[in-house]
Amino acid sequence: MMSQQGLQKTKVYTVSEINLAIKRAMESSFFNIWVEGEVSNFYFHNRRHMYFDLKDEHSKIKVVMFYQNNKGLLFEIEDGMHLMAKGYVSLYEKRGEYQIIATDIKPVGKGSLILAFEQLKAKLEKKGYFKKAYKKIIPLLPERIGLVTSTGGAVIKDIISVLNRRSDSYHLLVRNVNVGGAASCDDICSAIDDLSDYEVDVIILARGGGSLEDLWGFNTEVLADKIFSCRIPVISAVGHETDFTICDFVADVRAATPSVGAELSILNKIQTAEQITDQTLRSKTIILSKINLYKRELDYLINRKVFKHPRSLIVQKLQTLDELGANIRNLGQYMVRSKKDRFISASYKLSGRDFLGRVKNKKLILAGLSSDFLYRIREQIAIKKAKIEVLLKGLQTSSPAAIIGKGYGILYREKKDICLNSLEDVSIGEIIRVLLRDGILLAQVTGKIKKNWRVENE
Amino acid sequence: MNEENIKKMDFEQALKSLEMVVNELEDENISLEDAMEKFEQGIKFSSYCLKKLNEAEKKIEELTRSEDGKLIARELRIKED
Repeated sequence: MMSQQGLQKTKVYTVSEINLAIKRAMESSFFNIWVEGEVSNFYFHNRRHMYFDLKDEHSKIKVVMFYQNNKGLLFEIEDGMHLMAKGYVSLYEKRGEYQIIATDIKPVGKGSLILAFEQLKAKLEKKGYFKKAYKKIIPLLPERIGLVTSTGGAVIKDIISVLNRRSDSYHLLVRNVNVGGAASCDDICSAIDDLSDYEVDVIILARGGGSLEDLWGFNTEVLADKIFSCRIPVISAVGHETDFTICDFVADVRAATPSVGAELSILNKIQTAEQITDQTLRSKTIILSKINLYKRELDYLINRKVFKHPRSLIVQKLQTLDELGANIRNLGQYMVRSKKDRFISASYKLSGRDFLGRVKNKKLILAGLSSDFLYRIREQIAIKKAKIEVLLKGLQTSSPAAIIGKGYGILYREKKDICLNSLEDVSIGEIIRVLLRDGILLAQVTGKIKKNWRVENE
Repeated sequence: MNEENIKKMDFEQALKSLEMVVNELEDENISLEDAMEKFEQGIKFSSYCLKKLNEAEKKIEELTRSEDGKLIARELRIKED
């Protein structure tokens, strides 16, 4: 049982006192801690202080992040995000609620920069900053090329050497800037303004490769806005081929490297020069081939008969004229004749309209035809006969009988009835037959004399 | 088109004209006389364009702001490696 005196000895707190006591206890025991959980009920009061809950399956805790701590935050906090908050636990005495006062926040699973990059990219894409329709074309003749880069680095040397290699007529205006880290952003923006004021025709933003932190100046919304609203075409030539920045997406042209950026700034000019040379060459070819064509045609015409032998042409014409005259005469005669014939036959037809007369007429025609046929056969027979006679005559003059009649003889071997043709056909001492007009001689070969007259004896 | 008129053209106009002339030349039915005339015109356009292209003198300058805020371009020397 508790005595009155005991109660009197016990310390009685006011509400304020107990809250303060709890606050002190909390702040000293939960100092510099990290708490991990899922964001809910996120509330950004006047875009200054952030209020939200961190929760897990069974429990939740209030978090507040004041302006001085959240102003450096790169990414935006959204409900459902998995975060780690660093800070201390404190008590809000007015309501007796405890909360984490966050001094730093990191996303869980990926780096803040990557998250910030993704968020900004999505946001600008939604705003239409990357649309093709907004991309400006690099002019054919960039009289002034603006370059935003550090004049101290290797990048500017690369760019100048590319320009020198590709052209010997360009005007480069360099605006020296700090290109490293997030702080470079403002510097780059004012460089774009300066080059715009100086009325360059194209702007190259260039720096070498680096980490996400190094390139951060090119990943800011401020620069994205600046490039998007710039009326001069911008070439983004930031980092290596594998580095992508927000600047790359917003710019009118993305070059994989600074050297490529330099190349792209005067590419149209080079191509235009090539195009002009090409078209000039084409015109020359066309005109030359046209002239050659006409020349050939002229040569051909000059070589035509009319120019070489004009007389022959006139003679020919005269001949044709003669022929035509004769034809006309013939035609006239023929026409008179045929009119006469037709008149006669018509009058004949008129006079003899009887059937018998017609039959007679046909008979007459038939008779005429058959006599004609007979005549033709006779003629053919006579021709054939004459041909045969000619053949026979030829045969007679070339027959052996006819030759013998002229004093020649034909030699045969005695045994076989074979004509002798060569010295080789008989041997010396052999009996041969000589056929003459009126009989046969039997003779013996006594020697052979070859054509070269060398005697071959036994 | 005489040379005075060509000189009044801007680069892109002259380039377009050159293209048109070449297209007309490529028409097979063009007479020799017209072709010669077009050719002569084409050569004028092409030499004008080429002249324009190479007009700029090679210059490398650095752009800075003076104390009173004016933009100044000064020659920039970069040593090539």
